[in-house]
Formats: sequence, structure tokens, C-alpha cells
Amino acid sequence: MTMISLGDMAQSTMLRRQNTALKADMQAAANELTTGKVADIGRAVRGDFSALAAMDASLARLGAYRGATTEAGMMAGVMQTALGTISGLATGLASGLLTAAAAAQPAQVDAAGAEARQRLGSALSALNTRLADRAIFSGTQTDRTPLPDADTLLTAVETATTGAVSGADVEAAVTAWFADPAGFAALYQGGPARSAQPIAPDETATLDFTATDPGLRSTLAGLVMGALLDRGALPGQPNARADLAQRAGGALIASASDRIMVAARLGSVEARIEQASTRNAAETSALQIARLGVVAADPYEAAARLEAAATQLQSLYTITARLSRLSLVDYI
Amino acid sequence: MSIASALGSALSGLTAASRAAEVVSSNVANAQTPGYGRREISLQARSIGGSGLGVSVIAINRRVDQVLINDRRLAEAGVGERDVRAAFLHQLEQAIGTPESEGSLGGRIGVLDAALIAAASRPESEARLLAVADAVRGVTVALADATTQIQTARSNADRNIATQVDTLNAALVQVADLNSTIRAYSGSGRDASSLLDKRQQIVDSIAAIVPLREVSRGDGQIALYAAGGAVLLEGKPSVLEFAPAGVIVPQMTVQSGGLSGLMLNGRPLAMTGNGSSVAGGSLAAQFAVRDDLAVQAQTRLDAVARDLVSRFADPAVDATVPPGDAGLFTDNGQAFVTVNESGLAGRLTLNASADPNQGGALWRLRDGLGATAPGPVGQSALLTRLGGALGAARPAASGGFMAGNRSFAALASDMLSGVSAQRISADSEVSFSQARFTALKEMELQGGVDTDQELQILLVVEQSYAANAKVIQSVDEMIKTLLGM
Repeated sequence: MTMISLGDMAQSTMLRRQNTALKADMQAAANELTTGKVADIGRAVRGDFSALAAMDASLARLGAYRGATTEAGMMAGVMQTALGTISGLATGLASGLLTAAAAAQPAQVDAAGAEARQRLGSALSALNTRLADRAIFSGTQTDRTPLPDADTLLTAVETATTGAVSGADVEAAVTAWFADPAGFAALYQGGPARSAQPIAPDETATLDFTATDPGLRSTLAGLVMGALLDRGALPGQPNARADLAQRAGGALIASASDRIMVAARLGSVEARIEQASTRNAAETSALQIARLGVVAADPYEAAARLEAAATQLQSLYTITARLSRLSLVDYI
Repeated sequence: MSIASALGSALSGLTAASRAAEVVSSNVANAQTPGYGRREISLQARSIGGSGLGVSVIAINRRVDQVLINDRRLAEAGVGERDVRAAFLHQLEQAIGTPESEGSLGGRIGVLDAALIAAASRPESEARLLAVADAVRGVTVALADATTQIQTARSNADRNIATQVDTLNAALVQVADLNSTIRAYSGSGRDASSLLDKRQQIVDSIAAIVPLREVSRGDGQIALYAAGGAVLLEGKPSVLEFAPAGVIVPQMTVQSGGLSGLMLNGRPLAMTGNGSSVAGGSLAAQFAVRDDLAVQAQTRLDAVARDLVSRFADPAVDATVPPGDAGLFTDNGQAFVTVNESGLAGRLTLNASADPNQGGALWRLRDGLGATAPGPVGQSALLTRLGGALGAARPAASGGFMAGNRSFAALASDMLSGVSAQRISADSEVSFSQARFTALKEMELQGGVDTDQELQILLVVEQSYAANAKVIQSVDEMIKTLLGM
């Protein structure tokens, strides 16, 4: 078609359209430049949100795991401290009891017995430790204190040792009482051991240590035997009392390996928690960097586009002004 | 006689020049009027008995390129259709929420997952169990919001169909009226150009609704067909009928009889699929949104909701819930039954027995929804299993998702990805059809009034008027000379 005229509206419509398109471009570029994120995420990921959504889901989980590992780590640490306290109490007492037994002086045996009773009290309070108002050795019943005080415990043991006439009798009765479900276990107020708790994706830690842990019973039995001396066990038999002191000291020394086993078991859980926490932190930073790679806009590229659009818009303004002055009306 | 005929010729020249000036003035005045066809005066030498006798105006022609206008109208209908589809998909994408937006479905699932982990770490804490309950409610709110938006979009489409059908009917009647007026005008030899302008404007106003084919029927008459074949105006106007439904719920479809279809002169028209005789315009797109796109989106959303419900209703997760009873999520308080899947996403609620707002107790989140008394406060096993149920990879039971095992978050993101991919392709179709429409529109406008050209013509008209006047003056002097002898 030979063009012999060009409609006025074609020109104005064209200018209007160019103006709108350039302004929209500028808006998008300015938006990307100020927020640092791409304007249309759907387009940036070509409609496939699965990677981005999976990263977001993982980041949300890892955030929660950070809290969970901190809490689990804190609890394991407090448990480890309590075990250390008990271990110190037992080791210190064992030598005192053995010395007193060797000296065979009733007064020394009495003194060792009194010491044993005090230390039993300290050991029980260590097992009754609360962290953030949770009794840590109560298993799932964290709202209850796991063990009674030393006097209640000793009264119960005394009932079981009634009729014992020798150190060996007392030791046998105490050991049996600790093993009996109606004995020591009946005094335990806590619940069953805690179940595993999540600390990292597909990884759990089990802090299943309670006051009735078999590894702690032998230590408690040794402490109780010593403390019974203070409650006047085997009255009028100095040799039998010295024998009991000897047996108590021996039991405490023999229980050291049990305590170390418990501490080692707890230590390995602590290590797992710590490793999980480190791994989670590393994964979080890696995911955040990867996520930015998807949604971040290149500021240099955005600025370049903004500048280009601005230049084009300026040219368009100039052209609009020139064209509007070009009319035959002004010349005839 | 020749002096008299010279006078007559000059007079006819003056008349022609006046008419030409009139045409120019009309063109200049309408330089910015949409739908105005530029007028051109058509002249012919007048001759009587073989001898020239001035000039006569035979017609005022309206210059339009009908082929171009038809193409432009089809392109406009294409824009109308794709705009409606893209707008709906945009809305749907926003309703589900992209990972960057606050309160998106994916974000709320992440919050629930995190709340379950935090609660498992410290099951004694009321605050953490409350956070789990809130997060559960958050997920139900996100799904319910998306449902509401989808159904609102359907209601809006339904209302728009009714409005567009009214517009179409009114326009067809007007065009039929103008047809008969134009016939009367052209029969009596009057200029019908302004009526043609008016008719073109009316037809243009409905071009986006249905792709139109304008067919000339002689005597300035036109017939209108939809590009798909439906007869809209042939002599007398067709009547389209549609009954809007008002509020629409997920269960209402054309098949179920809850929604109205479109009737043309009392006969039902197929609206979906390529075979539809009114396919291609915004009207068909509104039907597609109401009966196809939104329904599909709701089906997928319901499938996601169903997956969520079944994850927590598994007795292996919570042994205190008897098989068949509702788990953590309920269908409006009841256990979910497969036949009720339609609209499930809008009805999810937190199980009342664990919801303090509905008379339940938070500890049931920790001890089991069917538990009669609180268990040990430090029990975290159930909370851990709930978190595991959310993340477990399992196949989706419905919704037409691709086969494979997914966690719940992955299923929700697959749904979003599906919508987003559709949205992006709809966007590019919009820009494609928009570009085509703009190009054709500009070509059409280029053939419109050019004031520079009109002014040039005006200059010529002025000269011709002056020349004719000069002729009259000369003839006058010649006659005077004759009379003065």
C-alpha cells in the first residue's frame, strides 16, 4: 500500500504506548534495584517452585532444629554436671570409708557414716536437679521430682535390712532392695525414659537417662550402705560395722566403672547433638546462599536496565515535543 | 448560451469547493474520534448533451479498510480472551502464595513443621503446644482463603458473563436498527457516513467479547457472525440468554445443573472446548475460568487438603484415634470421607478435642487426640510422629498429580508450580496477542485523519474557490460590457 497520509492518532497512540512500556520497564528495574530481589519470582524460576519451596521448607525446619539442639545440648550438659558431682561424691567417700574400716575405731566409723549420709543427700539432690523447671532425671514426668530426700530413702532401706546381723547381710539386703521393683523403683516418682527427639533432618538424640539408671544404682547402693552406719545399723557390733564400712567403700570403688559407662554414653549423645548443631548451621548458610542465587536480582544488571530505560524515555520526550510542534497549521 | 453555461460551471465549482471545505472541516474536527472513517469528496465533470457544464459532487466516500478492521477485531477478541485467563491465573498464584509472599501456603506449612519440632523438644510447654495449634489453624486458613478466592473468581466470571451477554444483545439490536436506517438513507440518496461511523463504533465495542466476522450484504447492510460460526446478526439480531447464579460454591458446575450455560435463540451453545461456536473472546474465557480453570484449581487444592487430612488420620501416627475417625485435621469437625472431597480445602478445621477454642485441651496434641487423661508431660513421641507424618514421602491419592512420592510441602509446591507455569505461558500469550492487536490498531489509525493532508486539501480548495469566484467576476464583467454597448 502506498502511504499518502499518516493518521494523527497513529502517532499519538504510538507515543503513548512507548511511554507506558518504558515506564513499566523502569518501574520493574527500580523495584529490583531497591529490594534486591527479582520482580517476578515465578518467571525467575520458570514456574518451577519445587527447588525454592524445598529450600524454604528446609530453612524453616533448620530454624526449629537450632532451638531443639540448643535445648537438648543444655539438658545433656546439666546431666553430665550432675553425674560428675555424684562421681566426685562417691570417689571422695570411698577412701574415707576404707580408712575408717582399716583403723577399726568405732569413732572413725561413725564419722565416716555421718559423712556418707551427707553425701547421699548431695547425690540425691544432684539427681533431683531441675533445668528450666524440668526435672532432668525424671524421664517423661519432668514435672515431678524423681527421688525423695535421704531420710525417706534410708527409712525404706532400713525396713528391708531389718534382721541383718552382719555386714554381708546388710549388703545383700541393700543390693536386693535396689534391684527389687517394689524397693528402690517404687520410690522413683518420675516416668519412663524420654523417647528420641529430633535434632536434625532424619536424626534424633535420645536423652533416656533417669534416676533409676542401672549404671547409677550401684553407686547409690554404696552411698546408702555407708549412710546406714549413721542410722545406727548393726548396733553393738563394732567389727560388723567396720566390715559394713569396708563393703560400702568397696562397693563405691567397684561402681566407678558403671558411672564412667553412663558418663560415656551421655558424652556420646552430647557429641551427636553438638555435631548436629554444627551441621545444621552449615546447612542453613549453604541454603541461604543458594536461595539468594535464585531470588536475588543482579544490582549491576538492574541499574544498567534502569539507566537504559531512562535514556530511552528522555529521547521519547524529546521526540514527542518535536513531533507535536510539527504541524502544517503553524506554517500557513 | 456559452456565457450562461460558463456562469453555471463556475457556480458548480463554487458549490463543489464549499462541499470540499465542509468535508475537510468535518475530518479535522474528528481527527481524534475513534471509529471515524475519513471522508473524501468524489467529483465528476458534469456534461449535458455532450458539452461540459461544470462539476458535480457524486458522493462523499467514507474511506475505511474493512479487511484491516476485521483483522483488528479478531486480534482484539484474542486479547480479551487471554487477558481474562492470565488475570485469573495471576490471582490464583497470589492466592496460593509464592514463597516470597507473607502468609503463603508453603510458608504456613513451614511454620507448622517448625512448631512441631519445637514442641517435640519441649513437650511440657503450653506455649509450644499452642504454637502447634495456631500453626495448624494457619494452614487451614491458607487453604480456606485460596478456596474463597477461587470461588469468588468463579462468581465474578459468572457476573461478567451476564454483563457481557447483555452488552452483546443490546449492541446487536442497535446494529440491526442502524442497518435499516442506513438502508433508508442510501435509498433516498442521503449521506449515511455518520451512521456508518456509529455502527462501526458499536460493533467495535463488542469485538473483545466475541471474535466477529462482519459480512457486507449490499445496500450498506452488514451481517455479523462469530468466528466460530454462530450467527449473531443476519437481518434480525440473535438473542443470547444467560442466567447468572449469584454466589458459587465448589460443588456447583454446569453438569450438576447449578450453573447456567449459554443459549442462542433458545438453543444451548457448547461453551468449552475448541468446537464452541463463540470461542476465542472474553466471553468464552469467562466460561473457561468459571467451568474449567477454576474448577481444575479447586480440584488440585482439594487433593492437597485431602493428602494433609490423610497424613494425620493414620492410626500409626496417633494410636489413640480409632481407624476411620478424624485426625489432627477434620472436615468441618467430622472425619473426612472420600466422596466429600469437593471443596474440602475450604472446610478444614483443627480437631476440636485439641482446640482450646472449641472446648478441647492442648495436651491432646502431645498425648493423643483420643486420650482421656493427660499422660507424662515430657512425652514427645507423638509430636515427633506428627512432624514425621508431615514430611513423609507418599503418593497423592487424587488431583491428577504426577505419580511419585512427595512430602506435604513438596506436594503444595508442585501445585503452585503448576499454576505458575500456566500463568507464565498465559502472560506470554497476552503479550503476543497484545502486540498483534497494537500493530493492527496502529495500521488502522494510520489510515485515519491526517490534519496535515487535510490542510493541504484546504489550500487547494481555497485556490479553486478563488478561481471560480474570479470566473464569475469575469463573466459578470463580460455581461456588463455586453449590456453597456
